[in-house]
Formats: sequence, structure tokens, C-alpha cells
Amino acid sequence: MALFETRGLTKRFLGVTAVDAVDLTVEAGELVSLIGPNGSGKTTLFNCVTGYLAPDEGRVTFQGRDVTGVAAHRIARLGIGRTFQLVSVFPRLSALENLLTFLQQHQEESLVGRLVRAPRVRRLEAAAVERARSLLDSVGLGGRTEAPAGTLSYGQRKLLAFAAALMPDPDLLLLDEPAAAVNPTMIEQMKAQIRTLHRQGKTVLLVEHNMDVVMDISQRVIVLDHGQKIAEGAPEVVRRDPKVVEAYFGR
Amino acid sequence: MSDLLEQLVHGLTLGSLYAMVATGLALMFGVVRLINFAHGEFYMLGGYAFWYAYVELGLPYPVAGLAAVAAMAAFGLAYERAVIRTILARTWHVQLIATLATSITLTNLAIIVFGTQPKEVPTRLSAAILEVGGVRMVWQRVLVLVAAVAIFAALEWFVAHARLGKAMRAMSQNREACAVVGVDVQQVALATFGISAGLAAAAAALVSPLFSIFPDVGALLTLKAFAAVILGGFGYVRGAIAAAFLIGIAESLAAGYLSYAYKDAIAFVVMVAVLLVRPQGLFGRRIGI
Amino acid sequence: MRATRWVLGSAALVAVPWIAAAVVPGQQRYVLHVLIFTALYGALALSYDLVVGHVGSLSLAHPAFFGLGAYTLALLATEARWPFALALPAGIALAAVVALAVGVPMFRLTEHSFAMGTLGFAIVTQVVATNWVDFTHGPLCVTGIPKPQVGALRIATLPAFYWMGLGALALVALLYRGLTTFRLGRAFHAVRDNETLAAAASIDPLRYRMLAFVIGGGVAGGIGALYVSYVGVLCPGELTVSLSVNLLVMVFLGGVGSLRGVLVGAAAFTALPEILRMAPTWRMVIYGLLLLVIVIRAPDGLEGLMRRASSRRRRPASSGA
Repeated sequence: MALFETRGLTKRFLGVTAVDAVDLTVEAGELVSLIGPNGSGKTTLFNCVTGYLAPDEGRVTFQGRDVTGVAAHRIARLGIGRTFQLVSVFPRLSALENLLTFLQQHQEESLVGRLVRAPRVRRLEAAAVERARSLLDSVGLGGRTEAPAGTLSYGQRKLLAFAAALMPDPDLLLLDEPAAAVNPTMIEQMKAQIRTLHRQGKTVLLVEHNMDVVMDISQRVIVLDHGQKIAEGAPEVVRRDPKVVEAYFGR
Repeated sequence: MSDLLEQLVHGLTLGSLYAMVATGLALMFGVVRLINFAHGEFYMLGGYAFWYAYVELGLPYPVAGLAAVAAMAAFGLAYERAVIRTILARTWHVQLIATLATSITLTNLAIIVFGTQPKEVPTRLSAAILEVGGVRMVWQRVLVLVAAVAIFAALEWFVAHARLGKAMRAMSQNREACAVVGVDVQQVALATFGISAGLAAAAAALVSPLFSIFPDVGALLTLKAFAAVILGGFGYVRGAIAAAFLIGIAESLAAGYLSYAYKDAIAFVVMVAVLLVRPQGLFGRRIGI
Repeated sequence: MRATRWVLGSAALVAVPWIAAAVVPGQQRYVLHVLIFTALYGALALSYDLVVGHVGSLSLAHPAFFGLGAYTLALLATEARWPFALALPAGIALAAVVALAVGVPMFRLTEHSFAMGTLGFAIVTQVVATNWVDFTHGPLCVTGIPKPQVGALRIATLPAFYWMGLGALALVALLYRGLTTFRLGRAFHAVRDNETLAAAASIDPLRYRMLAFVIGGGVAGGIGALYVSYVGVLCPGELTVSLSVNLLVMVFLGGVGSLRGVLVGAAAFTALPEILRMAPTWRMVIYGLLLLVIVIRAPDGLEGLMRRASSRRRRPASSGA
């Protein structure tokens, strides 16, 4: 049984079909890239499967359960993590607090328990801080844990968003253009991070424009054009597929 | 039956008023993405300007009306430069609070300057009665509807053919592209404000012979106009006009057949009811005015 | 030592009626009256800041909840002869329940629509209070609201009302603190600062917005009930939009999102006009202009100014470059 699957996923806006009957499968432990020219529906698809948009048709399945149209915060709770195309952090909080925010819902049970600083809550909080620090270290933000996230550079915020998404240990990670708008050194860093995740057995689905990155790290590539899936397979195969070439250059 | 028709006529008058005020709000939101909580006060001040010109100065009706429109257009321009320009770049919280603060300031200034007693502005047309098919109405109501339709037609032409109008529409559809292409974004924003304020004053000049002017009139008007803007699709002027007429007629019927005291609640109830069923408004989210 | 400062400060606050009698004899009643209003407005402003400052929902419905609590106690106490100990919780409960009922449709609206929707609700509440004369007495007002009595304890003198107000303020401040720190506070702030990201962090924005809205509304209702118990009379004019503006001024003048800031703002707002003895309309003109200037120039309010001043003092002199 695939870890994650969409069947016939469709989304329309004002007469335009942004995502057109897309069937997509991701097995546990895979590293899959979703590519396609601008406007092909990649981010829309992401938003549909993570609860930010309601699909018009089709089904989304995760770990065997139907999660079509489930609200974003519940999708996250179920174990699907994501980053955003325009990097998104909590600007007033420090890097550490950003990460802590991502874990708290997974550790709490009752409202009363939260108001009272019981020893159990304290222990959980300490463990969370520990995990946050080590994650920040692993992405290279170990020295910048206290400053407000809004003061970090774009690249640093991207790394922060990446670490934050990992904080609740999601079973599936969706990355929206992790290599966009950052310098080459940062791109290498991102690639290394994603490879490490893959080695650790994490399942990653990423949307990406940077072909070098895609070809370099993906196990499998899926190509969208005008909302439709037009090709799928190993990076080398997809790159040479005439339909894909035409989608990118043919017009 | 004539009772119902009379209520409908009243509804058309109300609808015309709400539509003119809502158009100004929709223009501002469409072109510069700003909700002006003080818009109702433009109507109120326009009404006082009209009263002053017509009653105190004794100018003929059309002249007094145009004077009020010109005065408020000028005020709108000044307000844009003084306040709006500063808050355009800020968050919507700031914009909302700033315009709300303006609304309170203007309302209370009006109380101080003009007093709380409503000002009556009777014209020949607000006394002359017309009878059509068993329905009695004053000629002023006919004037209101005809003038409103004329204004909307003029606005349509303006946005489609005049240079400034086309710039306004372009800005409402894609502001960044306009700046790149060389449209003077600040000038267009300024002009939009002047036009909105002028529209509110025109509405006041047309409608105050029927309803009188008092300092608090703006608050409820802003709410109802905003309801129309939301229902019409946020910035879509035609939608706002249609929704405004809907609200006006609903309010008139409710006042006549349900309860006069609670008629002001109708706009709010209609708005919430529609939004619950169709959050994108009656006509869906449109881009551009 | 911090603990000693707390004890001394609290003791001083409790001792105010005697201090006032000693320092400003003859003015004591007036001073206490101003302080009672300050305490009640301070608590009301804190309940509003919970919604506006911490979870970021720009609600204009607060006057309605204040009014609902006030009318509940006023009518239950005068018409149904309910004792204070029952009427007060009833006022809080009614306000909270209405906040829940209103919040459900309102929070489906975004941003401007939400503000407008809550404003509309406030106006409708005012219209109903003014026109449903059979029930609310309308402009004739509800009069003869009895002084609070809980068992043998009767709150009838100014010092007694002062302690009631002080106690209410302390309770609300404690609640405010508890709700805005630790994890709950983080959840609120996440929703306020980046709702989309909050959802990706498994935080349900609707749940937290409703929580703040309902608690804020309930507290506002409680303050409304206390207010009418003090004043003895309730007219529909108490729940106008002006109250929303007043609350916005208090919160933004003092420092939105900050306990100390909001209290300072409430104190400044309540004390100043008493000192200046302005006519109500001129007062609103000044507040309108003040709010306009503050929100544009100093959105952090006095708290922000104070913080910037103290951090500048702490930095070494070499930072002057």
C-alpha cells in the first residue's frame, strides 16, 4: 500500500482547471520530485493535498486513510509536513521558539494540563528544546537560535522553515521549491539536507524548478503540464521524454 | 398591491443611495485595496455642505448640489494626501483603525459644529407628488433613481474610455504591472479618492431632501454600503450596485411588513446569511472594478 | 527583592482608600470614583486585548458583550430579584454563549469582513437594546439596580466598590497572564503572526480564535455586570461603537499585546479626561485624532516607547555611531 496517493485530483478556478485528474503515488521512503513549467499546477496540488484548498474532484489517501478535503491543521497532525514557496516563519519568535511551536500540538492533551505547569509538561518541554536545538544545529543555525526569525536572511529563514517542518517528525514531507531564490552554496546545503532525510528513510515529495537539483537527488520524477500529469519515471528517462521537452520548450 | 409597489419605490430610493455610496467604497477597495471606514462621513459632510449651500447660501438646487460635490471631492483629495497615503503601505489593521478613528473624529466634529438636530433640506421636488398606477411618490424619488442610473452609466463610460478611468481599472486588476508600465499610481489613487468622496456628496445632495442630515448618519451607511461591497464581490462595482439595490429593497420591505424599528438590522442579516452560504459573495470573487 | 516589591505594591493598592482620605481629603470620593472606573476599564481593555492583541482578530463586537452582561445582571436583579452571586455568573455565561454563537459565522469571514461583521453585530445589539422597550426599557433605562450583596457582605460604599474593582482587575490580569504565556500563548501568537504556518504546525486557527473571542466576550460581560452594579442605572447608550473606539485607544495607546501597556493605556485614558474635564464630544474628537496618530506613528504605543527607551539606556555609549 502506498504511503501517499492521489486519484483523479482536480481543482478548478474561475474557469481554469489548475489540476486536472492527477493520479500520483509516493511509496514510503521514496524521494520524488514534481516538476513542470510555470503554472502547471504544482503548488495548487500541494495546497489541495495539505488542506489549504478543497479539491473539486478526486481522492487523497495517506497511510490508507482518506484525507481528501481535511483541514490543514489536521493534515499536519496526521503526519504530513510541508514548507511554503514563499518562505514562511513566525517573524517575532526566535528560531528556537519557531521550532517549539511546531511540536506543541503533538505533545499536549488537555487545556487544563497546558495551563498548569505540571512536571510532565516540564519534561516534555525540555525534550522539545533538546530536539529543537539539535535540528537547528544540523541545518547550521545553531548559533542563531535566539534572534527573532524576522531578522534572519532569506536563506537562513528557508533553513529554519525546513527544520521547523521536520520538528514533529512527519511521515511525509512536502517541500515547495526548496532551492528557489537562494545562492548556490545554500542550494548545495539544501540538497545535502534532503539527501540526509532520504538516507534516514524519510519520504519526501518536492516541487522544484531547478533541474540540476531535481536530476541530482530524485529517485523518481513526475511531470505536470497545464494541470495534467504528462510523464513519470526515473530522472534520466523523463528528461529525454519528448512530451516533457515540448512542455518546457515547445511553445 | 399599491402598498407593495410603494414599498418597492422606497426600496429603489434606498437602493440608489446605498449603491452610490457602495460604489465609492468598491472603487477604493478595487483600486487601492483600502476599506475606508470613514466613507459614510463623506456622505454626512457632503450633506452638510449641500445644506449650507442650499439653505444657508440660498443657491439654486443644481448649483448647491454641484458645490457640495466639488467641496467633498476637494476634501477627499486632501484626506488622501494627509492620511490615506501614509496608511496605504501599512497592514489592514492599521488602515481599519485609522479610518475608524477618522470616522469618530468627523462625526463628533459635526456634532460640535452643526448640533445634533437633523437638518431638513426641502426642495420643490421633495414636496411635489407624482401618482403612477395608484402609487404615490414625490418627484425627488424619481430624480434620485434617474440621477443614480445616469451616474453609474457615466462611471461605466469613464472606466472604459477615459484615460484616468482606464488607469483605475488597470490598477484594480494588476497594480504592479501598472507601476512598471508608467501609470502614476499615486495620482490614480488620489483621483479615486476624490471621485469616491464626490460620489458620496452627490448621493447626499440627491437624498437628503428625503431623509434629512444628522451627524450619525454615516455610521449605518458605511455598514450597509460595506455589506453591499462584500456581497457584490469586493471591488466589483457592478456587483456592489446590484447588491446595494437588493439590500435597499429588502430593507424597505422589512420596514413596511416586519418592523420599522429593526429595519437597520436587515442589511447585516442579509450579509451574514449570504456569506454563510456563499463566502465568495453573490457574483464570486472578481478581479478588477 | 521582587517578592517584597509585590507585597508592598499590593498592600499600597489595597490601602488606597485610606491613603486618599489622608492625602486628598474632600476629594477622596472623586478619586475613588475615578479609580473604580479605571479598574473596570482596565479589566475590559485586557479582555479586549486578548482578542485583538494576542490572537489578532480585529473584533468590534466587544461593546455588545459588555452590554449583554450588563443587561443580564440589570434585568435579573431588578425584575427577577436574582441575587448578585447568581446574576453575575449569569451575565458572564450569557455573554460567552452569545460570543460562541456569533463567532461561528463571523470567523468564516476574512479580515475586513470579520471586522465589519462584528461591527454590524454590535450595531444590531444596540438597535435591539434601544428599541425593545418592553424588555430592556429602551431609552428609559433600567434603574434601581441593587448594590451587590453576597451573604453578609454588602458592597455599598465607595471603598468597597474600589476593592471590588481592584479584585476584578487582579483576577482578569491573572487570567490574561495565564492565557498569553506558555504554550497557549504561543498558539495564540502563531495564529496572529502567521495563520497559514500555524495550520501547518497543527494549530487550529479557528479553535484558538474562538477561544480568545469567547473568553474575551465572557469577561467583558462580567465587567459589564460589575459596572452596572456600581452605577445603578443602565441605558442603551452604554453599548455604542464609541466604546470600541475607546477600547482601541486604550489598547493601542498603551501597547497592544502587553499587560503593562494595556493597563497604562486604560489608566491614561480614564484619568486624563477626568483631569481635563472635557465635554464628551470634544473628548471623542481628541480620542479619534489621538488614535489616528498613535496607530500610524507609534503602533507599539507607550509600552513600545518605554521599551525602546530602556533598551537604549542599557546599551553602551559606543553605539552612538
